[in-house]
Amino acid sequence: MNPSQSKSASDPVAISVRVAELFNEQQQNIIRHTDWLMSWLMIFQWFFAVGLAFWLSPKTWAGINSQIHPHIWAAVILGGIITSLPVYMARAHPGETLTRQTVAVGQMLMSALLIHLSGGRIETHFHIFGSLAILAFYRDWRVLITASIVVYTDHLIRGYYWPQSVYGVLNASIWRSFEHAGWVLFEVTFLIIAIRKSSSEMLLVAERQANLESLKEGIEQTVTERTAELAKTNSALLTENVQRKKAEQKLSIEYSVSRILAESPSWKEAQPQILKGIGDILNWDVGVIWMADHRDAILRFAEIWSQLEVPVESFKEKNKEMTFARGIGLPGKVWASGEPAWIADVTEDVGFTRATLAKKAGLHGGIAFPILVGNGVGGVIEFFSREVRPPEEDFLRTLSNIGGQMGQFFERKFVEEHLFQSQKMETVGKLAGGIAHEFNSIMTAIIGQSELILGDLPSGNPLAENATEIHKAAERAATLTRQLLAYGRKQMLRLEILDLNTVLTGMETMLHHLIGRNIDLRMITSAGFANVKADAGQIEQVIINIVMNAVDAMPNGGKLTLEIVNATLDSAYASRFPELKAGEYIMLAITDTGAGMNEEVRARLFEPFFTTKGVGKGTGLGLATCHGIVKQSGGQIAAYSEPGRGTTFKIYLPQVQQPKKTLPPRINAPELPRGVETILLVEDDPSLREMAGSMLKRLGYSVLSAANGVEALTLAHQQSTGHIDLLFTDVVMPHMSGKELSDRVHSLFPQTKILYTSAYTENAIVHQGALNHDVEFLRKPFTPSALAQKVREILNAKKTN
Amino acid sequence: MILKYENASGAVGTAPEHWISGTQIALDRDRDTLIMFAHPKCPCTRASLEELNRLLAHGNGRIAAYVLFFRPRGYPDSWTRTDLWRSAAAIPGVKVEADVDDALSRRFGAETSGYVLLYDPQGQLLFRGGITGSRGHAGDNVGESAVISQATGQKTSVTQTPVYGCPLMNQCQQGASR
Repeated sequence: MNPSQSKSASDPVAISVRVAELFNEQQQNIIRHTDWLMSWLMIFQWFFAVGLAFWLSPKTWAGINSQIHPHIWAAVILGGIITSLPVYMARAHPGETLTRQTVAVGQMLMSALLIHLSGGRIETHFHIFGSLAILAFYRDWRVLITASIVVYTDHLIRGYYWPQSVYGVLNASIWRSFEHAGWVLFEVTFLIIAIRKSSSEMLLVAERQANLESLKEGIEQTVTERTAELAKTNSALLTENVQRKKAEQKLSIEYSVSRILAESPSWKEAQPQILKGIGDILNWDVGVIWMADHRDAILRFAEIWSQLEVPVESFKEKNKEMTFARGIGLPGKVWASGEPAWIADVTEDVGFTRATLAKKAGLHGGIAFPILVGNGVGGVIEFFSREVRPPEEDFLRTLSNIGGQMGQFFERKFVEEHLFQSQKMETVGKLAGGIAHEFNSIMTAIIGQSELILGDLPSGNPLAENATEIHKAAERAATLTRQLLAYGRKQMLRLEILDLNTVLTGMETMLHHLIGRNIDLRMITSAGFANVKADAGQIEQVIINIVMNAVDAMPNGGKLTLEIVNATLDSAYASRFPELKAGEYIMLAITDTGAGMNEEVRARLFEPFFTTKGVGKGTGLGLATCHGIVKQSGGQIAAYSEPGRGTTFKIYLPQVQQPKKTLPPRINAPELPRGVETILLVEDDPSLREMAGSMLKRLGYSVLSAANGVEALTLAHQQSTGHIDLLFTDVVMPHMSGKELSDRVHSLFPQTKILYTSAYTENAIVHQGALNHDVEFLRKPFTPSALAQKVREILNAKKTN
Repeated sequence: MILKYENASGAVGTAPEHWISGTQIALDRDRDTLIMFAHPKCPCTRASLEELNRLLAHGNGRIAAYVLFFRPRGYPDSWTRTDLWRSAAAIPGVKVEADVDDALSRRFGAETSGYVLLYDPQGQLLFRGGITGSRGHAGDNVGESAVISQATGQKTSVTQTPVYGCPLMNQCQQGASR
């Protein structure tokens, strides 16, 4: 577009300028074209003149002699001189004023030459008028004036010096030159009029064109503006469409995922459907789920999905074998950051560790987003596409939200499953505990009575053997009962601060004896603080039980590793177990290289009476007992196993910062101590009351027996001696608890010492399972010797005090 | 150079004041008789023939005209019968003859092509000279006007004009003739 055209279409000044431009442009075109035409015409005329000379007057004669006619030279030389300059100017400087003036002069001189060469033929004189007409092509009146001047000057000069050559007379009047010039002027006048008219028409055309251009520019401007508006509207519509499409996709994904999660009975079954659902909607080709193993601090493969037509078998198989540490690879980075990540082309990304695999599978675009569980990351979901896909923040946010949604589902399902398992274990435990409690009292009576019989029978009596068998059977039954109580978490724990390293080290010799020589035992203690609050005997029992199971799993030998490490359980992991709190733990891992177990066995491992051993080889209470003890100790126990590769039991116990106490060594008196003090015995179980009363009486004590607290208080009031040295009472009794009774007795006899007994203590549960140091306790079932020792110990303490 | 060439008149010999009898051409007793001597190849003579044509046209039959074309001895007729010959022959009322070896030219004193002599019916010389304004240049000229005036009985003081044309004979020939 011409510069002036860019101005406003309605600007009259701009239009005037444009008119002048167009007019000048057109005029210049005409002049240049005429220059071109005249240059060829003059060349032609020159050749014509030469030809004419050769034709009309090739030679001049003198008799029979001849020579070249001067006209030949005139045509060649003069014609050349006349022609060359105008032709040069027309070619070298077309359009210039001087050029057309030179052409005008040359053309008129050529007329003169041609007239001359033709012998002054009157017809040739028309060349002058023809030349003027041709020069009028320039549409420049000044050119015609110049040409006229040349003609007139020629006539004037020749008319003055050689009048006969012009007018045919020797003394022609000067006015004749005006006559000749008059005819020329006649033509030139009309030519100038024609030129002016033509110029006016050109100007008119220029004005029309300028107006047309102006109009066109206006239309174009309007079209441009409308086009821009349309483009803007179109762009807005496209943007809106894209946003709507994205919103639809987002809703579709959220709906799809929600539906899948609602309909799936478990997280495991939901995984492939989630991958397919998201992959189909967002056109991703491959999806992978990685779940966090917080104990090993790695991401483990969980699920993979691909579109049917995508040949990525190798990629899928390799992924199944992979794990990622925190911060390593795309899943590891997402795990570490908790933020979604998008890589346009994974094959070009240096941080993507599977670039070669992806390249082979033809995968390029990649995204990953976390499965947010609580405040942590429970897993990572990846998607890959065959084409390079630039990041889209909207989708990342959407997927991040979905990751949170899935995390909630995952968490809920895990908690539900775990709660269900816990409730099942709790129910079974309560049942077992209740039965065990009743059996415990019975066993205590049987053991006590059998001991009394054995004590009363004279040596050599044949009934002694029967009584001994009864005693042994009762002991075995009591052992089972204790295990059930342990599983039901209803046994009394003697909690103390233990250094688990010391406990493990102290067991080393015994464990070597247990496992045999074909098993390589390795024990690794933690370098740091390993104090926990637990019952040392019970913890030893847990270790022995698991070790014995490991030994059974390695009949042909193997490696057994016991390792203690300090571990931190984050909230994400702890939140999956209702009883577990986040924090510092001491982990005891017991790993064997035995037969291992499948998932079905592993799921039921801690159930009571579940065993894979043959009939008579196991009670099915060992690991159940371990589970109860660890749970009752505020810890967590879990098993990880792969068939054929071995099993690892991991026991987490809360780490405590207090230093351990050194307990005084137990003194085992070689003989049953005796006494004469007064003891108030309160036991609701008649057989047990009878056994304990008989035992104490045999040891010399004065025994007041009561079946409950009311009876006991009645006896206390009726006490003739005025004092009671020891109250030996069951904790859980109808009408009045042991604690309430002891308080009332204390009000009557402040010096009376108290010894509690119970198969389990619900009041201890009220006291958070801890045994108050001010309270003396004898756990049922107890032996007579244990009772004698305990009673004497308490009464002696009284005397010392 | 061109102007000099074109304005240089040719040589003129001594023309007889009375018609010479006993030649191949005869004096017309009823009207004036015009003789033009011409070189058959002289380009300048074309203008003279054109002027002769106009002159005879203006004379309206009052002039009997001869055009005598020079033919060197021993040269064929074709040397003489050029387009000028045909042009001259085409002019109404003009008799064209060959002047072999300048026989008549010498007697009438003609040395330059285009040389014209006009005799009255009594054989008295009325005019001699050229009828073009310059060499090979047609157009109004004094000689033409003078011949027309003589033929039409108008008064004119011009009885002689310069002749513009090629020499009828070369220098050697002229020398030999003298």
